[in-house]
Amino acid sequence: MGLQEIISGRVWKLGDHVNTDVLHPSSYFSLDAERVEEGIMEGMERLGTALKRQSLEDGLIIVAGENFGCGSSRETSVRGLRHFGVRGVVAASFARIFMRSLVNLGIPTLECREIQSLVRDGDRVHLNFKNGWIELEGGKCISFSPLDLHVKKILEAGGLIPYLRREKDGI
Amino acid sequence: MSKGWTGRIIQKHADGRREGDYFSVHVDFVLLPDPTFALLLSELKELGGRIWDKEKVLVTVDHFAPPSTVERANIAKKVISYAADEKLPHCSVYQGICHQLLVEGPWLTPGMLVLGADSHTTTAGALGCLATGMGSTDILYALMTGRTWLKPPEAVRIDLKGKLLPSIMGKDVILELLGRFGEGGFLYQALEFYDINEAIPMDDRFAICNMVVEGGAKNGLFHPDKITKKYLKERDGHSNRWENFTDEEPDYAKRLELDLSSLKPKVALPHSPARAVDVEEAKGEVMDQIFIGSCTGGRLRDLELTARILKKRKIAPGMRLLVTPASQRIYKEAIEKGYVKTIMEAGGVILNPSCGACGGIDKGILGTEEKCLSTSNRNFQGRMGDPSSQVYLASPLTAAASALTGRITDPREVM
Repeated sequence: MGLQEIISGRVWKLGDHVNTDVLHPSSYFSLDAERVEEGIMEGMERLGTALKRQSLEDGLIIVAGENFGCGSSRETSVRGLRHFGVRGVVAASFARIFMRSLVNLGIPTLECREIQSLVRDGDRVHLNFKNGWIELEGGKCISFSPLDLHVKKILEAGGLIPYLRREKDGI
Repeated sequence: MSKGWTGRIIQKHADGRREGDYFSVHVDFVLLPDPTFALLLSELKELGGRIWDKEKVLVTVDHFAPPSTVERANIAKKVISYAADEKLPHCSVYQGICHQLLVEGPWLTPGMLVLGADSHTTTAGALGCLATGMGSTDILYALMTGRTWLKPPEAVRIDLKGKLLPSIMGKDVILELLGRFGEGGFLYQALEFYDINEAIPMDDRFAICNMVVEGGAKNGLFHPDKITKKYLKERDGHSNRWENFTDEEPDYAKRLELDLSSLKPKVALPHSPARAVDVEEAKGEVMDQIFIGSCTGGRLRDLELTARILKKRKIAPGMRLLVTPASQRIYKEAIEKGYVKTIMEAGGVILNPSCGACGGIDKGILGTEEKCLSTSNRNFQGRMGDPSSQVYLASPLTAAASALTGRITDPREVM
């Protein structure tokens, strides 16, 4: 738990305005974690990807365009991503409910426009929170907008529920 | 601070704590629809959590209403049992779509801060509330603490001038704005509408605020006026409980103007609500199904105008017209006023109030490559069924006119 200094994974690249209905079709809404995860597989199918199956084992970093995660608030989309091994999300911009839900479930959200044209599906990248940059395959580093203090506190706690527990304990 | 009334409402609800750009604020009311409430129930119980104020939550079973699979039946059952065990005073089963029930009930007045576990909670902004949707974990936090953390958004003032033409509805107004500014055009902003000529009926205001989220806005609100006052008075006799709105106008980051009288009926093409064009540009496209309903297009005025178009006419051969009133109350009133009979005589099928067809949950699911014109709020790929199906969005007037011909039709041609 908590925010690691460096998070690594393979890039799953997505475009602009990817909505939660496509990412996680509503027919996969369920309280069963496996069924929810299947919804992400279906979403991946619909969105198309050059990612190889074995890349999934290294963990995933989504690199998306503008307004990522617009549409429904159904948190199953984010829960599905977490089960699926998504460790971090970098986007040009986020839809607000989706961004809050990612952070609430302990997945860091970084805003960065430059990265879109510099990565491909399956590239290995490292999100470096200590230095505030993203290290791309080949070693190039680009910086991301600093995390808001409140967002950082939630991520450091490991999500909103652990943050709530800390708050209750008066830490 | 260019934060509008939204900023002022946040300020008035703040408890003094701040972290970064976020303020800790008290919440006045929380809306809990079945699927997203079910998602947080096990954690709520695990945490030994109690809802901070049971009078201030509305639980609805509206998405799975009634359930169409065993799994959904068990989800609805969890929600209903929890509400019974905890003796929650406001739990509504199959009585309508949450966003309609929230504004029909006696709870909301201008200036309140309202959260809901559904993105279209923005609907309640038509009453002058700061109303916004959140994911289940955020809602869980709010239920346990009576608070949430908000980042005050930049506010945009939108002056709606002139009169609505008889062929234009709230849906056309919001599609025009989405078309102009794009799907993320209002990302993280508060849209604050001033209806300068008091020309827009409350049902249409609900449709407008419902869909501000399709432009990425955090919330949309109508500055309270005579129409708000009348609505509140007819609702429960109280029209004077206004908070946080003073004569001193707040600052805005941006101001826009829209001349209502210049608007044409709009149609949003697949697969984005922001792909809005004038109806002339989409005219003639053959449809398999027309859906009139949802939390943005199933209110009484929507059914009234639908009935006006369909009166003494028949829908096109082979056309499927599905109509879902947004609540039981609306349904009953539509029966009393004769709208239901007119729609049925024209060949329409009335479904019980629920989120079913709009969310691709049940009843009205689209098959391979089928096309549907819908008065709902989203036409994302696969939203109403098969990923190859296509959904167009329009007002109930345009939808009813299109049901008559079987093709997308300009309502002015049949009015």
